[in-house]
Amino acid sequence: MKRATSIIRVQTPEEVLMQKTIIEPGARQSVAAVSATRLVKSLGLGVSLVMVGVAPAAALETRSYVVSYFAQQFSNEDGDCPGGINPEDERGQTAVILRTLGYSASQVATLMAGWDKGGEGKSKVNDILARRAVIDGQPVNPMTHPEAVPDPGLKFVSSKHAFGFNLDGKDGPDGFIDPHTGEAGVDHQLFRALGCNQNFRGSWTSPSAYGEWVWVQLRDSQPAWLLTLKGEDLSKDGAVTVRIERALEHLRSNLNGTPRRHMTYRADPDPRSINEFRGVIKDGVLTITEHKPFSILWNGLSAPVLNLKNTHLRIRVEPDGSLDGLLGGYQPWRELYFAFSHNGIVGDRPGLWHAMKKAADADPDPQTGQNLSISASYRISAVPAFVVPVDHADTFSAR
Amino acid sequence: MQTAMKSPKTRRFRWIATGVLATLGVAAAGVALNVAGVFGSGSVKGYTPPEASIARITADQYRTIITDAFGPAIDLGGRFEPDLRIDGLLSVGASSVSVTAAGMEQYDTMADAIAEQVVVNMANRQVMLPCEPASANAPDDACAAEFLAAAGELLHRRPLSKDELDAYVAAVRHAATALDDFYAGLSMSLSAMLSSPHFLFRVPVVEPDPDRKGGYRLDAWSKASRLSFFLWNSAPDRRLLEAAGNGELHTRRGLARQVERMMASPRIEGGVRAFFSDMLQFDKMESLSKDGTIFPQFSRREVQDAQEQTLRTLVDLLLTREGDYRDIFTTKETFLTPSLAAIYRVPVAHDGPNGGVEEWVPFEFPADDPRAGVLTHVSFTALHSPAGRSSPTDRGKALREIMMCQNVPPPPPDVEFNLVQDTDDPTHKTVRERLLAHATVPSCAGCHKIMDPMGLALENFDGAGEYRVNENGVPIDTTGELDGVQFANPAGLGEAVRNNPAIPQCLVQRLTAYAFGNTPSSGQKAFIRELQNHFERSGYRLPAVMKKLALSPEFYQAAPPSAHAASATVTAALN
Repeated sequence: MKRATSIIRVQTPEEVLMQKTIIEPGARQSVAAVSATRLVKSLGLGVSLVMVGVAPAAALETRSYVVSYFAQQFSNEDGDCPGGINPEDERGQTAVILRTLGYSASQVATLMAGWDKGGEGKSKVNDILARRAVIDGQPVNPMTHPEAVPDPGLKFVSSKHAFGFNLDGKDGPDGFIDPHTGEAGVDHQLFRALGCNQNFRGSWTSPSAYGEWVWVQLRDSQPAWLLTLKGEDLSKDGAVTVRIERALEHLRSNLNGTPRRHMTYRADPDPRSINEFRGVIKDGVLTITEHKPFSILWNGLSAPVLNLKNTHLRIRVEPDGSLDGLLGGYQPWRELYFAFSHNGIVGDRPGLWHAMKKAADADPDPQTGQNLSISASYRISAVPAFVVPVDHADTFSAR
Repeated sequence: MQTAMKSPKTRRFRWIATGVLATLGVAAAGVALNVAGVFGSGSVKGYTPPEASIARITADQYRTIITDAFGPAIDLGGRFEPDLRIDGLLSVGASSVSVTAAGMEQYDTMADAIAEQVVVNMANRQVMLPCEPASANAPDDACAAEFLAAAGELLHRRPLSKDELDAYVAAVRHAATALDDFYAGLSMSLSAMLSSPHFLFRVPVVEPDPDRKGGYRLDAWSKASRLSFFLWNSAPDRRLLEAAGNGELHTRRGLARQVERMMASPRIEGGVRAFFSDMLQFDKMESLSKDGTIFPQFSRREVQDAQEQTLRTLVDLLLTREGDYRDIFTTKETFLTPSLAAIYRVPVAHDGPNGGVEEWVPFEFPADDPRAGVLTHVSFTALHSPAGRSSPTDRGKALREIMMCQNVPPPPPDVEFNLVQDTDDPTHKTVRERLLAHATVPSCAGCHKIMDPMGLALENFDGAGEYRVNENGVPIDTTGELDGVQFANPAGLGEAVRNNPAIPQCLVQRLTAYAFGNTPSSGQKAFIRELQNHFERSGYRLPAVMKKLALSPEFYQAAPPSAHAASATVTAALN
């Protein structure tokens, strides 16, 4: 009998010298080296992935992780919507929409009585809703043409606190205070615009229903995101580089839904999803010091691509070796809307368009002056993982 | 139609219980069963053949035979009664188990399902049936006989007697007439054949041994079965049956030819896998579960992968590379899936599209890595741990009993385990500390001394086999000792085990018991010693000792028959 497949083995000292890169999960260890020695064993072309305990002296310590949670960070508090929550039930929202369309209170009452009876009465109301978006006198789909729908005037968050970053360095009337850092002037207009809708309400410990729903929908199928830190000694304060990229495999979970640690992921060589930032670790908190744009392929349920400008990252290594923190920046809000529009969010979806449009605070259109981006912050958590770097991806194809 | 279907089934059951039993009675006249024999001696001085016992085929053997006879696509559609482990092996326990009424129902359900797939399913029967009946709606004795004779030879591991074949064909005739369906009738008989004790039990038949005056040996068909179940864990194939039928198997050269052929066949891997699955008690994996709150990463997938990892490692080392058996305790080379690699905390990438099936990848731990050998495999560390924690005692006991063939007495009935089991004990944070405190009880200390020092070296692996270096924040001390040999970590334990003389001796003892299907008797001691010597001279090569055993005349010798015991045992087996 013959050995038919590739083998992973310990590399020789010569191979160590030839190694190209380093990967190692987030556990505190000396540097592990991974080489890409291709071996030929009997019948099959092989590949080697090699780990050694000691790396060349000049090598940096590298820790890698797989993102184990990612969603908008909306943290509400009691009384943060003085006008009340935007209607969360279909009937209540329907009545509001009818009013925004110009129907009087008594007309709305009559229409809703018909709605309650069902049959023709409900059909009549549904027809009004379906035709409420009008372009050139013709009805159009209100979900795909929200601009053609009258603004229902969804209520905004008016609290003082939100988790995020002071992106513009200013502390204006729209600025929040971050409960963890105490930083003022935090820009999170996405929270301000959406935080009075029940789907988006959450806290630091309890994510919003929308965020949780999207994450659960995607985690077992969407290619995972990888986070790799590199520095001289990641246990101490100092300069680091942070690389965030996409994997070829989806996140692997345990029986109870928790993320599985120490799985191996291959980095996706697609340049659209590769991001690298300089950063610093200070008092155990990692932040990035260059605020370039960030881009990574995402999903139609959330946004086809997560694009951020003026990117900020603040993340801490937890005692169990995982990472937890925030990623933020200015995000194109229209892309978000079109994810919301087909996601079954309860409430007035075209109203979300108008809310984000009004709250948008960056990237003005040169001609109209309308801001095209909105400040936002996302919760990001990660657990230790092995990462096969992009420049080794080909070596992992044994066929 | 449903009524018509029920009637033949009912008749068939009666037929199994009467007609086949009657047929069995004839065959059983020459069956040697459960009788201690003292006749004769083999080529090894002082050798006394052990009891030749009826043995129920194991669940694995059932599956393999059906696959061999009808292809891998056949769905058995039933469950097996649990097998019984005696003296460390299910193959030894197989001669001590019968079939309960519930078990017979399961066999009958599986027989019906298999027969339907083989005969009634049109696509299958076009491949599997050697003939077409003159009419699909009427009996065809010639076609039925052609199929049943061929199937019967494979399933009964010998040609059917004329009376047996006539009875099966008659049953087809009756059922096909009642149902107006030849294939339904054929299905009935095939199902009956699959419910027959001659299929479900290995029934050794002995005959006078012309080479040993007054001695007995297995007849050619039983010899073929013993050889095939040993090397392939399955029934003899047609070539082996031919060799049995034409007398070749009873010649030294003919036997050698068959053994060479069988050991060169890829099916030898199935035999080696079956032996080690039995020896390493992998059947217990079926019921292995872990506390999901403590070990959320441990699922059925990991259970299956863990067995497969070890079996692949053993096959690769012992068969593919014909390596030294003792090296299974020190080898750094193994095979992993990405999921299993995560438990070991080593990188193994999935090779394929997102969501694709994980594949096995050869993997070698670094030379200075503490992980080495099968004792550090999840299949050992997790299998020999309670549901919520590790247990150096359980692991040490398993090492002594499974790998070294030593017996460890059970704990005293009044022993207090609370101290050992409290993994949250703030005073004794590691297992070693808890065991040391526990071992201050004199009645416990004696046994723990022969188990714990070995098991503590495996504390780098938690109760689910996941690699760790700390327990409750305290670095784990993995130093230990085995029969006077000190070591520092799991790799050191593997080295000490490898060099322990009990290891190769135990392997040969287990292999012999597995091959014979009974606990080695005192009359076999000299024979086993000779096998052990041969194993040592071969450099501890497993194929060498398997071949030596398969070619030994002693392997096929038997105690004298007892017709009285035979009929009693066959009846008992069916009750």
